Amino acid sequence: MRAGRLFATGLGIALLTAASGAQTSSPVRPIQFSDTRLSNGLRVIISEDHFAPVYAIAVSYSVGSKDERAGRTGFAHLFEHMMFKGSDNVGPGEHFFLVFNNGGSMNGTTNTDRTLYFEVMPRNQLDLGLFLESDRMRSLAITKENLDNQRQAVQEERRLRLDNQPYGKSVERFNELVYDNPAYHHSVIGSMEDLNAATVDDVAAFFRTYYAPNNAVVAIVGDVDTKDTLARVEKYFGNIPRQPAPAPVDLTEPEPKGERRETMQDRLARLPQLNIGYKIPPATHADWPALSALGQILGGGESSRLYQRLVKTQELCANIGSGSTQRMGPGLFTITCAVRPGKTVEDAETVIAEEVARVQTAAVTAEELQRVRSSSRRGSVAIRESTLTRAQSLADNAALYNDPNRINTVNEKIAAVSAADVQRVAARYLQSANRVVVQTLPARQ
Amino acid sequence: MKPLRLLAILFLASVPAAAQDVPAAQQPTDFKGVVLKNKAPVSNDVLRVTFRRPFEAKLKNDMDLMVLEEHRSPTIQVEIAVPASTLYDPEGVPISAAMTSLMRLGTKTRDAKTIAETLAGLGASITFNVGDRFAYARFSTLTENLDAVLELTSDMLFNSTFPEDELGKWKNQQMSTLQQARAQPEFLATERFAQAMYPEDRRSYLLPTPEGVGRITRAMVLEQYARVYRPERGRVTVLGDVTAKDITPKLEKLMATWSGKGSTAPDLPLPPAAKGRRVILVNRPGSVQTALYIGNHAIDRLSPDYIPVQVLNRVLGGGPASRLFRNIREEKGYTYGISSGFSASRYFNHFAAQTSVRTEVTADALREILKEFADVRARLVPADELQNAKRALVAGFALSTENPASALGNATQIKEYGLPADYWDTYPEKIAAVTAADVQRVAQKYIPLDDVVIVAVGDAARIRASLATFGMLEEWDAEGRRVAAN
Repeated sequence: MRAGRLFATGLGIALLTAASGAQTSSPVRPIQFSDTRLSNGLRVIISEDHFAPVYAIAVSYSVGSKDERAGRTGFAHLFEHMMFKGSDNVGPGEHFFLVFNNGGSMNGTTNTDRTLYFEVMPRNQLDLGLFLESDRMRSLAITKENLDNQRQAVQEERRLRLDNQPYGKSVERFNELVYDNPAYHHSVIGSMEDLNAATVDDVAAFFRTYYAPNNAVVAIVGDVDTKDTLARVEKYFGNIPRQPAPAPVDLTEPEPKGERRETMQDRLARLPQLNIGYKIPPATHADWPALSALGQILGGGESSRLYQRLVKTQELCANIGSGSTQRMGPGLFTITCAVRPGKTVEDAETVIAEEVARVQTAAVTAEELQRVRSSSRRGSVAIRESTLTRAQSLADNAALYNDPNRINTVNEKIAAVSAADVQRVAARYLQSANRVVVQTLPARQ
Repeated sequence: MKPLRLLAILFLASVPAAAQDVPAAQQPTDFKGVVLKNKAPVSNDVLRVTFRRPFEAKLKNDMDLMVLEEHRSPTIQVEIAVPASTLYDPEGVPISAAMTSLMRLGTKTRDAKTIAETLAGLGASITFNVGDRFAYARFSTLTENLDAVLELTSDMLFNSTFPEDELGKWKNQQMSTLQQARAQPEFLATERFAQAMYPEDRRSYLLPTPEGVGRITRAMVLEQYARVYRPERGRVTVLGDVTAKDITPKLEKLMATWSGKGSTAPDLPLPPAAKGRRVILVNRPGSVQTALYIGNHAIDRLSPDYIPVQVLNRVLGGGPASRLFRNIREEKGYTYGISSGFSASRYFNHFAAQTSVRTEVTADALREILKEFADVRARLVPADELQNAKRALVAGFALSTENPASALGNATQIKEYGLPADYWDTYPEKIAAVTAADVQRVAQKYIPLDDVVIVAVGDAARIRASLATFGMLEEWDAEGRRVAAN
């Protein structure tokens, strides 16, 4: 076997307990995994789970829409589709054909920061999954025919999810107003014009730069043997050549200089909608767990402050939610509500502002923090119930944050947030100068 | 104790094709939309999958109890199901939904806010709803909070007060929900399709009418509750981090004073296939895609054709390896996704393919879909394609073992439909026995072609003329009203 240099030692991962809040609860056992770097730079994470005769494989490439250049928005996602159109030893479409015909499931997904591919299959098809993922990492088939074909599929995806849906364009515009840096300014799906402009040369250059083993993480979770699986990964991926590391993208945003606001007319919408956003730090920032807790307390579910006030008590909104996005670069704290017939977006916005002010000026209660802890514990438990979720989380946490063990720590950090933390981050980040508001009004025919 | 059943799941490549199968064609099968290089390592090993069966017993009130112990994570899910049916609701009047929503919004000792806060504090969920055969109370909890969640469930199930003000708020909220649904093309398509399939009764209402919501009174809700949540002939299923020994006395205590008989199952006929080609256009101005729903009546759950129909659907439109996906998306590029499926239950018996395509290719896509319908009826499925479909279905069983809820779901299906006790144990063999001739026979019987209902939701001005070439066109608006065709 080719020398796969061990990147981090063995199987023992920092033991953390979830006991911070729920006094009677037993700690959730940490997810154990091996973490190895092959000589070509590919990071390999393996976590055994013999509960069912299945395994999941997730391959996370450190490339997303943030890496797209001007005039090529939507390219990272279009490229994701190309990854199913064949390679040296796999014909166009044969990838999904083989996975589904052997009882598995698979997909790919792209966001601002990374592109993730995954399969779940019966355990006797381990070689199949490794072969399929390695062949396309090594030798993607880049042809104009494939590109044109998937360009159409992606444009249909844009129509389905955005252009033919109420509020679709509002969400895209909202994002553009929030971010000045081109990295996060545009939508992941991209514009029709840019999708049309993408060329075969673009695909080839993108593949060379970003789809290299040293820019990827492979995570395998399930009914496998770590040592044997690592040897197989080495066999399939070990001779894929390393490439020069892509230049890091500057994700920083300028200091906000005041609120941005826009009103849009939407022919497909029937209720007005309000999208409010505040720029927040990256997911790795020390304030992120408190911002996540703040999102839950303000707008997470029926017990939240915004739901109780705007949906139940004052009946201004049909629904409402808030939360903090997790990103490598600056994230977003969002508040979204659909306004009821006969009520105004202005009224809803006024009450939301009152609730934001309240959470900034007075401490949240012990009961509210207990709800955050319970939710974190449910999150920690849920991730253990699916090999796929675990594989995705391990691969993404390694690719995005260089920290696969974040799978074990992120919920604990949220559970450890104090009332003072919540109040402090609310005061710091939920400022009007840092705010973007998009109102969408139904434009009736 | 719970018996362990060892089930040999044969990867069907190793199963010889049945005698009735046609011999492999001289030419390789044309798997439209994909190119097979056949170089990837595919295992033909026999994989043995262990299916666990739930522990079964009777509670003192005669309800069936099924417990599937699962200690993978510290969670417990419980479902209480008692005979009831939304099909008794007056048409357009969501009385069952009002009742189950209000059960979460007030008891003798807790108001709606307290209930929401208590649930969030426990990290638990408790829901109530009524389907076409049962009314359900379900909860999901962390193991350490089982007793607290049981107490809360009991309170909501038996001490609900159905507060008048909460009913008013709920009704107000429904009006917004109805508006939001009507903005969705997929909803508009399924609504019209359901109306076309089950025009005579409550099955045709996917959502209530605003007038129906307005009619509901607290007295109606109280009367509904008195009638519906009754334990006789009901069942309780438990999944998760608890033993039957531990959960049984807790459930007995929960139900100690619960008695009475709920409604019997409504006797609704399963309609026969609609005749002729009916094209139903729903005008949604400004649409850039057309949402299509194409189907007709087919089989119910007890049909002897249920198994061959699974294989047929896998070939035709079940998943990305199927013909519809490979042709309409991969080869033609008309859509982002397309699939087909059979709704086969006690009260529903239809087949439908569904997709959304860009407006410009609406007629082309429809033609191509119908061409696939015609082809699967006219031609025997080639041997390798048949084997792929069967292997996919059987191997997919291995994946389902990761989710114990599916094992429990299989067990309840046996009870609900009176299937043989070994139904799932022999499922792989039943799938393996399906021949190309079987598939063609059920395709000719259930894949609609000359008698077909086509629903299209899109910008009528741009698609009306081309749709009219497919059959008798009728036009509706997004409010669910028939309009004169222009």
